[in-house]
Amino acid sequence: MATTTEVSQVQGWVGRNVPRRQDARLLMGHGRYVDDLKLPGMLYCAVLRSPHAHARIVRIDTSRAKAMPGVVEVLTGAEAAGFSGPMPPTINIAMTLNESYAIAVDKARYQGEPVAAVAAVDRYRAEDALEEIEVEYEVLPAVTTIEAALAEGAPLLYEEWGTNVELAWGMKTGDVDAALAASDSVVEATIPHHRYTGTAIEARGVVAVYDAIDGELTVHMSTQAPHQCRTLLAETLGLPEHRVRVIARDVGGGFGNKLQVDGEIVPCLLAIRTGRTVKWTETRSENLRSGVHSRDYVWEMTGGFSADGRLTALKTQLAGDAGCDGTNRSSGVGALLVAAYYTPGAYHLPVFSIDVTGVVTNKAPSGAYRGYGKDVATYAIERFMEIAARKLGVPSDELRRRNFIQPDEYPYTTVTGPIHDSGDHPRLLATAQQMLDHDKFRQRQEEARQAGRYLGIGYASMLEPSGAAVPNCIFNGYEPAIVRVSPEGGVTLLTGLQDIGQGVETTLAQVVADELTVSPEDVKVVYGDTETVPYGLGPWSSRGASYGVSAAVLAARKVKEKILKVAANLMEAPIADVELAGGAAQVRGVPEKRMTIADIGRAVYLWPGPYVTVPEGEEPSLEATAYWTSPIVRWIPDEVGTLSVYTTHPTACFGTIVEVDPQTGQVKLERVVVAHECGTIINPMVVDGQISGGTVQGIGGALGEELRYDEAGNLLNTGFMTYLAPTAADVPPIEVAHLELPSPFTPLGTKGMGEGGAIGAPAAVVNAVEDALAPLGIALSELPLSPDRLLPLIRRAQQGG
Amino acid sequence: MRIAMSINGTDHEVDVDARVLLADLLRDDLGLTGTHLGCEDGKCGACTVLVDGQATKSCMVFAVQADGSAVETVEGLATGTTLHPIQAAFHEAHALQCGFCTPGILMATKAMLAGGEELTDARVRTALAGNLCRCTGYTNIVKAVLEAAEALGREPTDAGKAAAKATRTEPVGATAGQ
Repeated sequence: MATTTEVSQVQGWVGRNVPRRQDARLLMGHGRYVDDLKLPGMLYCAVLRSPHAHARIVRIDTSRAKAMPGVVEVLTGAEAAGFSGPMPPTINIAMTLNESYAIAVDKARYQGEPVAAVAAVDRYRAEDALEEIEVEYEVLPAVTTIEAALAEGAPLLYEEWGTNVELAWGMKTGDVDAALAASDSVVEATIPHHRYTGTAIEARGVVAVYDAIDGELTVHMSTQAPHQCRTLLAETLGLPEHRVRVIARDVGGGFGNKLQVDGEIVPCLLAIRTGRTVKWTETRSENLRSGVHSRDYVWEMTGGFSADGRLTALKTQLAGDAGCDGTNRSSGVGALLVAAYYTPGAYHLPVFSIDVTGVVTNKAPSGAYRGYGKDVATYAIERFMEIAARKLGVPSDELRRRNFIQPDEYPYTTVTGPIHDSGDHPRLLATAQQMLDHDKFRQRQEEARQAGRYLGIGYASMLEPSGAAVPNCIFNGYEPAIVRVSPEGGVTLLTGLQDIGQGVETTLAQVVADELTVSPEDVKVVYGDTETVPYGLGPWSSRGASYGVSAAVLAARKVKEKILKVAANLMEAPIADVELAGGAAQVRGVPEKRMTIADIGRAVYLWPGPYVTVPEGEEPSLEATAYWTSPIVRWIPDEVGTLSVYTTHPTACFGTIVEVDPQTGQVKLERVVVAHECGTIINPMVVDGQISGGTVQGIGGALGEELRYDEAGNLLNTGFMTYLAPTAADVPPIEVAHLELPSPFTPLGTKGMGEGGAIGAPAAVVNAVEDALAPLGIALSELPLSPDRLLPLIRRAQQGG
Repeated sequence: MRIAMSINGTDHEVDVDARVLLADLLRDDLGLTGTHLGCEDGKCGACTVLVDGQATKSCMVFAVQADGSAVETVEGLATGTTLHPIQAAFHEAHALQCGFCTPGILMATKAMLAGGEELTDARVRTALAGNLCRCTGYTNIVKAVLEAAEALGREPTDAGKAAAKATRTEPVGATAGQ
């Protein structure tokens, strides 16, 4: 295997494969996931959900359920609305907002929407009681596609809107029609994408503890965003926010799905109503039915090319299906805007226009899932380049090369406003091709075709904007950190990030250890409690290595400065002569003048204490708070609407070799390679782990994972038997090579990189399958490429179209 | 119903409703919360435990069906705070991220390694097809299983060794790795 690594020289802890500290408790079965929590007197919540996609709730009778032994409370939406409010928006940018409650009040808008909830002494009894709740529905016609939602006279989800359009927006950076007319050739393509999602193996869960006397609510929750959840819960429940506490310890996967409260509100309502502790553990079918879901869009693209194959203009219409809600329950519709701004991907594009339409339908709410629109942009442009190459008669790798942003152009500002910090797409494509031995493969492919076998190779040049700063949104753009040195020299970092498996408990310790010249073992990373850490925003948009890391670095540097000041004072040396090395302050050239951080800590706090230790004007502590904000965010649009909201931009080239079985329609992946670039790497094995995991999720989306609804709005994939997430047997090892091009916009040159695998892999797989089926002349469109979709295409082509 | 079973070598007698799942008995009644539930139809494998040495999805078995059995859960793997060689291999290979599926995969691995089959990348992948992981993409899990096999004296085949090597991403930088 050709694995190339080109990286900076490793000096401190950053860049090393430091094994993760949290592994021990997780491996030994002593993780602290929310469902592991069992508190005295705790009740268990079960939720009755609408069997209809669209139905008015005419009558609910809970009396029989309430009378059952062990049942403590049964709550309907109307009752809950008597003491709580609707869900506030999670995002509000040019969107029409709805008014929705965690338990439906008058109408259910998707199959699986909560209509009543039970609290009982155990889970079994709570589930039993659901059977005894009587609900009379008036079933309404459902809309389940973008087309149906936009049709004249379509049933309306929110009658008060007068339409099913949640978002209508556009931008135009020049005269795109004139540019297309002046182009030597014009390529049109329709690029649809189906609905799928993250399905963390730990579904959602809550343990809500209500103290009626103090009026305080403590919510243990599986979440990526404890602070935003606290804000959203407080507003929904009508509690003062400073009386609400959210705690998240170990979180069993997030992938963007766990950023808000929706189902999580229900056990809180029951806790307030009963004055008891209430646990809710979401089942897999509830998780699949109630979301959040992602993708589900169709993109019409018309692109102009010059005679030498350069993209001259792109005119596009993007329509997305947000399900019943893409703003309040979760923020899915905003992904369409991100997609719009990143449409050009890895390429030069002089003129661009887009019209975006986000509609609501009777499907589960849409939210973030490893990509949040960046996946939409990369998938669409990488499919478009493939389709265009075929139409222009140019090899697709050659068409990519002719249009790539060049390495000497960084930082590169695109036509829509984003500033790409660093990158080298041509080299990453070359590396991926080298890893797959591209030219030799073409020979092998030819031989295989002679033998009736269908092998294909495909690439996708990925752009992963990371670290968003979105105005009017829970995805805002700052992050705090507190670094605290104790009297015996131990270091604590308090961060607004949350460890959801991506390893920040270890990687942040590496970063702080380097700044203070100690070991990661000396640094404790604290997160996941809104009463302990400052208001921070959590991990999403791959923002850990931009916002989280940079805040930690700044806070650590402030503490380092303080340590040096105290040391200079105590050792009576000019501060310029004192340096920190090996966990001690040392006066240069005077070996005996050395104080460890522990010596300094003891001196500052207690032995003797500050009056003779700390220089005048300095506070008596070794603690600092820092906030990091991006130097390149621009929220005020120019006259055509360009903006800059992402700070770092990892790049990669994904390459795959596949074989399609013409008898079964089964796609077998032979090789998957990722030539990857994400700036300074903090922990290579963590980075490779993120790439491998994301890539397999992307492969799953391309080949099998699907949330398919029938015309009546019944979800057909309500368990892992029908929601086909890849198993170990379905995928090959993911091979990774690195190029390290530090970002100029972050203190360490790091770039956030958690989503790229899921962003880049789908287009590479689809392009490879299309290449495999090229002898049959099959153009792929609908996803996923499951046997039931591919086989009819193959059969039809074999029978001569 | 009153049932008896040995769990991680300790004998237990418990009263349990006939409809209670083994997973719920372990988690709720006995406080062994290392066994996780990720689905309700036996597909994800997070709840895998060993019942009389056999990998068993504890969400698909009633507690009463395990009456008289020897049950092993993830809590029984380590000795004190010393990791079992399978756990150590997972730690070193970075074969876990969120860790939620990990206990089931560790137990499935233990059952796999107790079998006499020759191990290759493909065999390990097939043997773990009953355990879903959404974080790792399996690359490092397969690597860890093959390394654990070696640590436990299960000499992998040449193909297995090649697979372990092929899945290993070279560390970044000349001095990487502490």
